[in-house]
Amino acid sequence: MVQVNPGFIDQVGQAKTFNAAACMNCGVCSAVCPMGIELLPRKLFRYVLLGVEDKVRENSATIYSCLLCKMCEVNCPAGVHIAENVRTLRYYLYKK
Amino acid sequence: MSDRRIGVYICHCGGNISDYVNVETVRQAVANEPGVVVAKTAMFSCSDATQQEMIQDIREQNLDGLVVASCSPKLHLPTFREVARRAGLNPYRYTQVNIREQCSWTHTNDHAGATEKAVRLVRAGIARTNLTDPLQPIVIDTVPAVLVVGAGIAGLRAAVGLADLGLSVYLVEKSPNPGGRVGGLGAMYPHGKNGRQLIDRLVGEVRKRELVTLFTNAEMVAKSGTIGSFNVKIRVGGKAPGEISVDVGAIVVATGFDNYQPAAGEYGYGMDGVITLPEFKKLLDGTAGELEYNGRQVKDIVYIYCVGSRQQGGENPNKYCSRYCCNAAVHASLQVSEKSPRAHQFHLYRDVRTYGKYELMYNEAREKGAVFCAFGRDEPPGVASGPDGKLVVTVRDLLTYGEELAIPADLVVLVTGMVPAANSGLTELLKLPLGQDRFFNEIHPKLRPVETMVDGVFICGTCQGPKNSSESVASALAAVSQGASILKKGYVELEPLIAEVDPQACDLCGDCLNTCPYSAIEQDTAAIRINSAQCKGCGGCAPVCPKGAINLKGYTDSQVKSMIDALLKEI
Repeated sequence: MVQVNPGFIDQVGQAKTFNAAACMNCGVCSAVCPMGIELLPRKLFRYVLLGVEDKVRENSATIYSCLLCKMCEVNCPAGVHIAENVRTLRYYLYKK
Repeated sequence: MSDRRIGVYICHCGGNISDYVNVETVRQAVANEPGVVVAKTAMFSCSDATQQEMIQDIREQNLDGLVVASCSPKLHLPTFREVARRAGLNPYRYTQVNIREQCSWTHTNDHAGATEKAVRLVRAGIARTNLTDPLQPIVIDTVPAVLVVGAGIAGLRAAVGLADLGLSVYLVEKSPNPGGRVGGLGAMYPHGKNGRQLIDRLVGEVRKRELVTLFTNAEMVAKSGTIGSFNVKIRVGGKAPGEISVDVGAIVVATGFDNYQPAAGEYGYGMDGVITLPEFKKLLDGTAGELEYNGRQVKDIVYIYCVGSRQQGGENPNKYCSRYCCNAAVHASLQVSEKSPRAHQFHLYRDVRTYGKYELMYNEAREKGAVFCAFGRDEPPGVASGPDGKLVVTVRDLLTYGEELAIPADLVVLVTGMVPAANSGLTELLKLPLGQDRFFNEIHPKLRPVETMVDGVFICGTCQGPKNSSESVASALAAVSQGASILKKGYVELEPLIAEVDPQACDLCGDCLNTCPYSAIEQDTAAIRINSAQCKGCGGCAPVCPKGAINLKGYTDSQVKSMIDALLKEI
């Protein structure tokens, strides 16, 4: 059972720089990732949208292993600004 | 033998029939049947050329009976009856034999068997035709007035439409005010039009039309007569109660739906903060600023979809989708985003059915931050009370890799659907058939969507099944055009293939009275009579009569016996 924390959504999810609402979980991002990161971005973004803070913290190493190469972003059929979102998450983790 | 002069035409139907049935064999086998003077085959009997040939044969050979062995009578019975009529032959002396659906298409692996079956069926058709009498359609003059039951959005719109076609309308509403469900709504999807204002506008239109008489606090209590000429009694309550009798040519039923009412404890219903979608809409419509419930600010909302719809088990499950609720819930969610931009909204659904252009609302809701989670049909969400006076909804979210989520909520909205309105009295009164879902049933969902098995009685709006308001209005206008198409002509023609009683043989035992599903048999001290406008020619009464006094015109006992003899004749 994971706890949904709406306060976390306010801090990260609804920040102007984070926007993953258009993500439809297709998985193209994971398929093209040169680092083979399975969790990023689609699964992790889902946890952010839902406000599951624990899952985001547990996976901070993964968030920092992203190269920000934007392979996922140029291939995203929904046009999600993935690299910008990852940066926002790093900022949040650093600040805490 | 027979002094009749019958023409028989065996159709190839291109190759649909002749690829499997040897039509020439059939022709030869029936050419010498009693009464047959013309026996031909045709590539396409329904073609203009063959129709002309038939007309010529009927005239030149003085034919008094016609048999076409081709496709289903559903398709071409009217075609060949019309051929007979054009040639001066009574259309009811025509018999269609179906050797396509019943022979060639069903016995594709047995050509000899298909051919033998075709021979027997055609012989039976000829035998029946030998005993046909000329019949005339039953003509009924129609009353240019319509009773509309229910003054919701469908009934009101139907009344306006009928009046604009010059028909008098009696609009009967059970409650003290017209408007129905829509009249109680504020902003409605997709454009935020106000339900109350829509109804006010329609009621204004009704009041402008002298042809419409609106009765509120009123109910239909009795109905007699038939299509084109019903007599209806309306009981009016209120300050000056009484009963009014009106004559109408058609009846439009627009009695709407009831909201599904969850049982106590169903998804936590009954707990503080668990409300249905209609209750939530009322709350929204009555809130100008930020959303509050029982004096508390509403920050987190969880919607649970498909409550009371698409049920899997239990007694009389509502297996259908209620069609409007996904859209209404998503629209409500957008209203919340306007009023309380910082609220968090979680939509727990089984499948989102924001079909057609309503998909745009769904996209907009997601863009505004609403999160959608999918639960499996075997794992519905749970609702319990949590810390700080909040509720907690647990759900296994299929979109988060089957993760079980615990979502805190100030308000849990049960997205409830539609159930049939409780109007069993009306069902009895009009003898309207109900579907398995217990909504009123149309004759054909695609081709005859507002007509019922009861001639002259039409259904529209949500009494027929879940619809949104635009779909309700569309079906109301369909009922308008169907009703008016009968009444504007001034008369209706009914099939004369109905029961008749031989008064010489009848001993008034009355055994037949209860066999009629259409209440078409009437008895007084002197005789038993068939109401020719009410009888559907089902034949249910004929075999029950101990004296053999009832015959079905077109399918008399002697005709049926002769058909059986012909079917059993040696090849």
